[in-house]
Amino acid sequence: MELDFLATVLLSSLSSASILLIATIGLAVVFGLMGVINLAHGEFLMIGAYTALTVTQAGVPYILSIPIAVAVTMVIGAIVELLIINRLYGRLFDTMLATWGLSIVFYQLAVLIFGTVTPGIGMPQFSIAVGEYSLAGYPLLMIGVAAAMLIFVYLLMTKSVYGMKARASIQVPHMAQAIGIESSRTNMLTFSVGCGLAGFAGAVLLPIVPATPSMGFAFVIKAFLTVVVAGPVTLTGSAITALGLGGGASVTASFMTSVVGDVFFFVITALLLWLYPMGISAKWRRKL
Amino acid sequence: MFKVVNATGGYGKTTIIRNVSLEVKSGEVVALLGRNGVGKSTLMRFATNLIPPMEGHVEIDGNPAPNSPAKRAKSGLGYVPQGRFVFPRMTVIENIAVAAATNGHDPKKAVEEALADFPMLRPKAHDLAGGLSGGQQQVLALARALAIMPRILLLDEPTEGVQPSIIDEMAGILKRINRDRGIAILVAEQNLDFCLSIAERAYVMEKGEIRMETDRDALLADKELQQELLGV
Amino acid sequence: MSISENLYKHAGLVFPAGAVVLALVFAGQIDPYLAFVATSWVIFGLLGLSLDVVWGRGGLLSLGQTAFYGLGGYFGSVVAINLAPATGNSLIWALPAGAAFGALAAAALGYVIFFARMGPLQSTILSYTFTLLLWSVTQTFKLDVGEASIGGDNGMSNIPGIVLGFGEDAEPLGPNAAFAAAIVIAALLYFFTRWLMRGTFGRIVDCIRIDAEKTELLGYDVRKYQLLNFAYSGALAGLAGALFGLWANYLNPSIFSVQEALLVPIYVLVGGLGTLSGAFLGALAIGALSFFLGGGAVGGQTTLILGGVLILLVLFLQNGILGGLGNLWRKSLSDPNEAARNAGAVKIDSTVLGEILQDAAKDAGPAKNMGTDEAFKQFGGVIPVNKVTQTFTPGKPYSLIGPNGAGKSSFLKTCVGMYKPEGGTVTLGHDDITHAPIFDRVRKGMGVKNQKPQVFGELTVADNLWTAAFARTHDTDKAEEVAAKILSMLGLEGQSGVQASALSHGQQQWLDIGMVLCLAPRVVLLDEPAAGMTNEETRELSSLVRTLAKHTTVVVVEHDMEFVRTLEGHVTVLHQGEVFAEGDIETLRADDRVLDIYLGRSEHV
Repeated sequence: MELDFLATVLLSSLSSASILLIATIGLAVVFGLMGVINLAHGEFLMIGAYTALTVTQAGVPYILSIPIAVAVTMVIGAIVELLIINRLYGRLFDTMLATWGLSIVFYQLAVLIFGTVTPGIGMPQFSIAVGEYSLAGYPLLMIGVAAAMLIFVYLLMTKSVYGMKARASIQVPHMAQAIGIESSRTNMLTFSVGCGLAGFAGAVLLPIVPATPSMGFAFVIKAFLTVVVAGPVTLTGSAITALGLGGGASVTASFMTSVVGDVFFFVITALLLWLYPMGISAKWRRKL
Repeated sequence: MFKVVNATGGYGKTTIIRNVSLEVKSGEVVALLGRNGVGKSTLMRFATNLIPPMEGHVEIDGNPAPNSPAKRAKSGLGYVPQGRFVFPRMTVIENIAVAAATNGHDPKKAVEEALADFPMLRPKAHDLAGGLSGGQQQVLALARALAIMPRILLLDEPTEGVQPSIIDEMAGILKRINRDRGIAILVAEQNLDFCLSIAERAYVMEKGEIRMETDRDALLADKELQQELLGV
Repeated sequence: MSISENLYKHAGLVFPAGAVVLALVFAGQIDPYLAFVATSWVIFGLLGLSLDVVWGRGGLLSLGQTAFYGLGGYFGSVVAINLAPATGNSLIWALPAGAAFGALAAAALGYVIFFARMGPLQSTILSYTFTLLLWSVTQTFKLDVGEASIGGDNGMSNIPGIVLGFGEDAEPLGPNAAFAAAIVIAALLYFFTRWLMRGTFGRIVDCIRIDAEKTELLGYDVRKYQLLNFAYSGALAGLAGALFGLWANYLNPSIFSVQEALLVPIYVLVGGLGTLSGAFLGALAIGALSFFLGGGAVGGQTTLILGGVLILLVLFLQNGILGGLGNLWRKSLSDPNEAARNAGAVKIDSTVLGEILQDAAKDAGPAKNMGTDEAFKQFGGVIPVNKVTQTFTPGKPYSLIGPNGAGKSSFLKTCVGMYKPEGGTVTLGHDDITHAPIFDRVRKGMGVKNQKPQVFGELTVADNLWTAAFARTHDTDKAEEVAAKILSMLGLEGQSGVQASALSHGQQQWLDIGMVLCLAPRVVLLDEPAAGMTNEETRELSSLVRTLAKHTTVVVVEHDMEFVRTLEGHVTVLHQGEVFAEGDIETLRADDRVLDIYLGRSEHV
């Protein structure tokens, strides 16, 4: 029985770490490949969730609503890059302020359009038995989704020409130009992909996290910290940080209270930043 | 085929090069000599459009070169910067492949060719470029520049921090690509021996201007000029 | 000096004073409801001021100001609820308590940020998380402290109003009187902050923003100043929060909300970053805008508009209202940097320099040796400093030469403390300084001049030198005296009022050298000092280095052999991170092996 309990705790912690990772990947991609912190990331998540919700309510099967949410957020992301972000490259804090303003605009628009309370969609009902315990299946499925997202982003960035261009552009911007890379186009695509990943996260997490205008704020706290603690090798760094911090917080929470879990998260974050002021991966030699 | 005309430029408000004009003819190897700080690198960055011109322009094949570094690369200008600047968190193969693919060449073929040209890169093919030694990075930066299939190659201090055996090897490779592929080369150097082993003709820079134009034999004969150039 | 120039110089005093008087005159006459609402604009202005102190002056974009504001508000209100009934007056309880708690919270967060030497991004994000964390925690946080009851998202009520009088029958001020009280409090804080920021403390905070590395190279412990500045901004925010509590009689967690936090940088950006008074102007502009558009400052469509305003501000109006006006005004004044163009060539009088150095020796003690023992530094596969053992003593200059990439600069950076060596030791006098922070090495007598001129561009030439001199003397008058001596030695008296950024590259190099001399260093390290200098300047520099070496230990990194020859000192050739040869320059010039590594010839390498 003890063992069963431990297994359920581990599984559910892994699943909450995965949920954190799903919400973080888009932010990590944009930060890692453009050096831009998108404070409106949470709102792109929200846009993805509302898109999925709206089309589902219109009768489209939930599974098909996910790619639609991705498409919508990618288009909005591209427009935002064109109008705001590309005027601010190299001005990290101005970008943060501008995207912060944007997050408020999106939030308020969502309040105006959808109101503050919206119906959720039912969670696909299946469960998995671990000994005498039974765990809801959908959150566990998120472990697979997070892994799939990681693999997708890794392949996109390492195997595609676009991915190589994007990495070259952030690593040595002037040399990327000098070998013929039009970095403005690459950056627009990267930002759009990052927003699309956020939209995907919002849609795929919809059964677990119902769409509300303020859902973005709740998610971004931990996502930001994950990315910042991760440092320059964003993908691997974020995966490890999300597992360690998110998983650790969740394990702590299941033995104590959720507040203790959150405290664990923030204390460990502060400790890690104390030890690695530029992120844990500052000295790693890895691609992503 | 490659001309810099009345180049005046620098950083911010500071002018570093003034009214510099030079020419590299088709298939020629030309050296740009001078002590540290005379403006060789600035001239190179001017030629690649990495710094905006204050005055003057660049011509490739008699046409004015386009006004963006990326477009200049596409019109056949290869550049190996001082300090190499390989993409550190990309593998050797990726460094070469991205340069080829960006300019519409087959990346696989480009990588194969590069590894054949530079066998010393082969055992390191899957390593991250940032972990290579200085000399290996220099060779990689050269391979990357060649992958865009340039017609004129600009090299900025290619021997800096590179051990002598590799310098010799590099000289050999440069001579070969110049001969076989007809790529013209402009090389800025402080290493006189290296320059004299590959270049026929040289410009000497001083305080942001071209002081003289000379050829290999004249330079070889003039010990005093050699001493002065190197500050030894 | 014309009236306009005089007025410009004191604009931060005259105009705010005028505005305060005007506001006080109208405070008694306006509609009570408007007075009530306008009080909140003053409070938001104070909050904005707290951000301007840390961001506009200190250079750290803190998104945590509303956290200190909220904490100060809660804490100040709890104290006021419990203690104000005893005295009647509520301000004497709430404001100090709020300020203290805000300062404490900021100091705690600042300690983590500054003493870990976090990057700017990490710092900003951490401050933002702090706000978001408080927002979520306070939703459920319930606690009774004496009479006060913090009720989670129900908030805390029964906070006494703004009470000025003492005794049992003291009554809360009416809206108009409360407005006037808030104006007086804000004015006092503004003028105090302005005084602080124009004084020595503010000068050093400015220097840290402009170039933290150089500030530390002058011997200032930048972390302490950053921490103090951050704590002060926390105190301002906390006090504003406490005042807000008294004004509203009620607090709830929405004080920590993102919508609230968003407003603070908007105030500062609208008014003008770094102007201090701009924050009040911004708060007034935004407050009045939302008041007359209808709806409060937060809520409704106003949020939408403000979000858009922030984006537009960042994109199009970086200087804000006051910044923009200031720029326009400055154009009509005579250019204080005019004198920069008249500067002649620098001539160093070795007798004067000698006297200065003797004075310095009297103050700072005799010259010190510097040495390294097997110093070792590694970056991945590259080893720029490979077990270098050297001893440098006073008497004649030491030069480190070698071809590009030989590890000269890396060796110097290891001595300075910019690189932490993986092995070996560095000693200064009798102290082992291998692990000492940079400022500590400077205080022990190390003077460092990096390759690029490092001067504080926004400060005048005289202020640059003064800041350096003050780092050593800690005495305003003494610093002035030292700075004046160095200024006249450099022959830059005519340019003393010029901003350092207006000087030519060569003049900036001399100013930088002058700043190093102000420190009365016992060991001087110069990294390629002759780079970018004319022949004439190089000659002067050579004579300066030789004179310097008679009084202190001097180490010069240089790859211009000609310059090194004129120094007539000891020369060490570095190659691939190791000591390759040593001796005097003539011997080395005759040494074929040295020529080979310079020429890249292969025989001897």
